[in-house]
Amino acid sequence: MNQPIAELRDVHKTYRQGAVEVHALRGLSLAIEPGEFVAISGPSGSGKSTALNLLGGLDAPTSGRVLVEGQDLGQIGRRRLAALRRDRIGFVFQAYNLVPVLTAAENAEMVLALQGVGAAERRERVARLLAEVGLAGMEDRRPDELSGGQQQRVAIARAIAAEPAVVLADEPTANVDSETAAMLLDLMGRLNAERGVTFVFSTHDPRVMERARRLVRLVDGAVESDVRR
Amino acid sequence: MQLTSMAWRNVWRNKRRSWVTIIAMALGLWVMIGYAGLVRGYLRQMERQILDVEVGDVQVHAPGFRDDPSLYRRIDDAAAIGERLGAAGFRASARLLGAGLAAAEDNSSGAQLIGVDVAKDAQVSAVHDAVDKGAWLDPKEPAGVVVGRYLARTLELAPGDELVLLSQASDGSMANDLYRVRGILGPVGGGVDRGGVFLTEAAFRELMGVPSGAHRIIVRAPEGMTLPAAKAGVVAAAGQAEVMTWRELLPVLAQMFDAVMGAMTMGFLVVFVAVGIVLLNTMLMAVFERIREFGVLKAIGFGPGAVLGLVLLESAVQTALGVGIGAGLSLPTVWYLQRYGLQMGPDEGITIAGVTTSRTWYAAPNAETWLLPIAVLLFVVGAAVIYPAVKAALIRPIEAIRHR
Repeated sequence: MNQPIAELRDVHKTYRQGAVEVHALRGLSLAIEPGEFVAISGPSGSGKSTALNLLGGLDAPTSGRVLVEGQDLGQIGRRRLAALRRDRIGFVFQAYNLVPVLTAAENAEMVLALQGVGAAERRERVARLLAEVGLAGMEDRRPDELSGGQQQRVAIARAIAAEPAVVLADEPTANVDSETAAMLLDLMGRLNAERGVTFVFSTHDPRVMERARRLVRLVDGAVESDVRR
Repeated sequence: MQLTSMAWRNVWRNKRRSWVTIIAMALGLWVMIGYAGLVRGYLRQMERQILDVEVGDVQVHAPGFRDDPSLYRRIDDAAAIGERLGAAGFRASARLLGAGLAAAEDNSSGAQLIGVDVAKDAQVSAVHDAVDKGAWLDPKEPAGVVVGRYLARTLELAPGDELVLLSQASDGSMANDLYRVRGILGPVGGGVDRGGVFLTEAAFRELMGVPSGAHRIIVRAPEGMTLPAAKAGVVAAAGQAEVMTWRELLPVLAQMFDAVMGAMTMGFLVVFVAVGIVLLNTMLMAVFERIREFGVLKAIGFGPGAVLGLVLLESAVQTALGVGIGAGLSLPTVWYLQRYGLQMGPDEGITIAGVTTSRTWYAAPNAETWLLPIAVLLFVVGAAVIYPAVKAALIRPIEAIRHR
């Protein structure tokens, strides 16, 4: 068995909403292994987005440990955490969250620029990547000149441009129609199969669950079922 | 994708708001540069009027003369003091002072008689340049006098007219003689304007029977010497005589100078605090409406420094444009104010604490006229932008992404 790429160990997460304490996660343990295509599902409030945010180092657990490639995120500083997110974790958001003043190519190459990759190499890698996600010829379009599906493809290109250990996708198909959702899932499935990119989804979408090779169902902040196919 | 390029595009995401900010900065800077030029011009005019025309940097009097300005209280060794001051690098010229009655045809008025060494006085005083009509004194024409403007009006004098001066000579005899008006002064100062009659030194000595000594020595300090240093130098040369700086002689004006500097600083603060508030508002809006975006940037690997740099760069772009436009606008404005000035008062000028300045207020710009307002603006911008920039830099990505 491989070393997990990302792992939650006995993680608790409690939020305070006014006077009410909300237990989003209750002792969740979950290990993501290289090359997996995992969907985390569950009803609203089950803790799936919280789990994803913790795996991505966007949030910190109330107790328990979060490890990415063996590094305990609770033990590293703000700057190293930012570098870890930049180099080893890709994010795809429900609302695409592209930077509106940048073109598709500029959005996709942003992480590479942060890593200090030279302009020529960035351009070449991003052109290849955008062609791979079906956006050849649209490099210079700004987000407002692209459809929702096209924006999400740019977001996927941005997430995988730096060849991260894992891509965390929070409801990536929630804002697109069925046809586009199917195309996006085909794309991510192909990237997983051909390039070995590890994907972890949080989702309500049965189409995503159908395609996932591992389906983790959370209920009330704990694993109800964890099925590999 | 460079941070600067991203900052530039972000500035133009909301063109109207960015232009309002840039124009607020440009107008604030434009006003403050013009104001700084005018204030410096005002101070220079006042200083020139005080120091160059009448008072000098330092004056020497016989002990007690200031409290009791008697013809008999003279600096006996004025010539020797003048030589010692000259050797120490000062310019100095002695004056003789007396009181009398000036009469022309049926009019008469009290007069302040001032005897000057024409050649030396020109080195310490610009009063010879203040002649409005006619000409200044000429040692070759001892019967020629120059009178103050209000005295000339009272006595209805014009250049070439006859003037009789009456007084009591130092030996107690009646002093009187007939003179011819060579010139009438423009605005100089309250006392000289109302009753000043300038005579050559020789004419004064002959009229008043004062063979030696002087009542006042006007001293100009070498360029760059501070006033306390100048006073110390003059005290060393003047022996027992009483030495006072212009600030001690004219404390009200000295305080006014200081007050003008204070008023200028306040003006700077008021304008720039207003600009700072506009800027703070703009930057807060620019940050808060993009909270989610900052969250995403941080999620994909932007460190706090990169986010801080991005917000500061956006502010720097706007500031650079504001400074460019404001400084650019100020060039023709300051040129106009320097050349044509502002008409600020009555034709005869404005007299404050006995010193009259021209009604036209000219700018007198130097490098500081631009550098000081720009430096203050940069400080205000820095102070206004630091809070939203740090806020954006330190925001936790998860909170930012959830922000609505």
